[in-house]
Amino acid sequence: MDLALQLLFTGIGIGAVYALVALGFVLIFRATNVVNFAQGEFSMVAAYLMVVAVEAGLPYWAAFIVALLGMALLGVVFNLGVYYPLRHRTYLPVIIATIGASILLANSVLAIYGPQPQVLQGWFDTPGIQLGPVYLDSQYLLIIGVTICLVIFNFWFFEKTLLGKKLQATSQDKEMASLLGISVSTMIMITFIYSAVLGGLAGILVAPVLFVSIQMGSTIALKAFAATIIGGFGDVAGAIIGGLALGVIETFGAAYISVPYKDGFAFLVLVAFLVFRPQGIFGERVAEKA
Amino acid sequence: MPLLEIRNLVVRYGEIEALRGVTCAVEQGQVVTLLGANGAGKSTTLRAISGLAKPTSGDILFDGQSIAGLGPEAIVRMGISHVPEGRRVFPGLTVKENIMLGASNRRAPTSEISREADAMFDLFPDIRKFSNALGWTLSGGQLQMVAVARGLMAKPRLLLLDEPSLGLAPVIVQAVFKIISEIRRNTTVLLVEQNARMGLSVADYGYVLETGRIVLGGKPDELWGNEAIRAAYLGGHAKASA
Repeated sequence: MDLALQLLFTGIGIGAVYALVALGFVLIFRATNVVNFAQGEFSMVAAYLMVVAVEAGLPYWAAFIVALLGMALLGVVFNLGVYYPLRHRTYLPVIIATIGASILLANSVLAIYGPQPQVLQGWFDTPGIQLGPVYLDSQYLLIIGVTICLVIFNFWFFEKTLLGKKLQATSQDKEMASLLGISVSTMIMITFIYSAVLGGLAGILVAPVLFVSIQMGSTIALKAFAATIIGGFGDVAGAIIGGLALGVIETFGAAYISVPYKDGFAFLVLVAFLVFRPQGIFGERVAEKA
Repeated sequence: MPLLEIRNLVVRYGEIEALRGVTCAVEQGQVVTLLGANGAGKSTTLRAISGLAKPTSGDILFDGQSIAGLGPEAIVRMGISHVPEGRRVFPGLTVKENIMLGASNRRAPTSEISREADAMFDLFPDIRKFSNALGWTLSGGQLQMVAVARGLMAKPRLLLLDEPSLGLAPVIVQAVFKIISEIRRNTTVLLVEQNARMGLSVADYGYVLETGRIVLGGKPDELWGNEAIRAAYLGGHAKASA
């Protein structure tokens, strides 16, 4: 039982990272009808930006802000360079462009920083606290705390603000949105910035837990992508629930069944969903919105 | 000077010439109805005015100023609001949210927009109780009310209405046209209709479009009174919708 609680905590911690990246996937998908295959690279680039900023001698909080500003800028460049020129084409050229951007980002970082994985220290000096039978690692606590705040912010932003409603309107019917005077290109720009920052946050938060490496982006992105399918593709709540569920499942699978097959469990669950419930947990609601 | 003047407008979709030189005008304070069969170019005319379709040649003057080739966001800010065919109510947003977004063409605090949206239900009492219902749950007639209310939130000087009666039960069509006759007190309206009898009943002036050209224009009673015109252009539709 104690072990189960401990695993649940760790699983939710890692699942929160998947949830943030999955949220980025879903928001861009809803705004542009395209899966952004460079979403994982956003996490990787942000982790490297963080490493660079810390090595340059910036205090942690300043490095954090610099890295997130860098991600916002990357969101702008990505939108203008990858999506905007192809926005009137079908989804296929755009998807290929995001794959190209993903390769470009990974290899740019490789060229600059080399293949050696980097280590980023955790945020806190105290490694964690013991709460009854469960040891709460401080970095996982931070990840969970930030994710909770972001989920609340996300809900408030999309459900309670007029700008959020304009973003939703744009993702539902671009032509109608433009007829009402909503600037569609601005709404899509905001979506890319927000998604890049979300992916970046995930990368920065998870960096002290994993190594900072070129491959970290694709690993996280694959899990997050699986999470969006499990949750119900295109659904915001589904992405978050799916991410958390995936984190918990793979942590339990690693502990009770097999450590080397840890990554396998996530995809086993994905396959099971594709076979038995391809619309995902929240599938029906997506159909209603379409 | 007319509020809206269209001169020799040509619109092409690839090889197809949807409009082949349309010339017409809408005077301030009038309701003008564009009649015509399917594919005659009625919707394309509205799409060109609101900026969704790019004119190949010709000009569109709003208040004496050329708006041909401007984007839809710029045109709605100038005061032309387009309620397109098919209503296009956002399915995942509530009725109130849909209506509020109609004010996206102007700068106003959210609280004020919310108040204006509530006031809009006085004109559309039938949809008041669906204020918090999502768009996809409404019936065709309710969607049409939401679409028109949303269009009016732009406080337009010219309202473009595309086929407001399409697919609605006769009693709902009556309700929609009653609203149009109320709107006309403050707003100039360019109405597109297949239902000639209804379309002309609220109009000050009517045009008949045929295969991308205006073939007739006149006051409703002139159009309706002329036996030959009615048989050729109007009669069939009136019968079909009666």
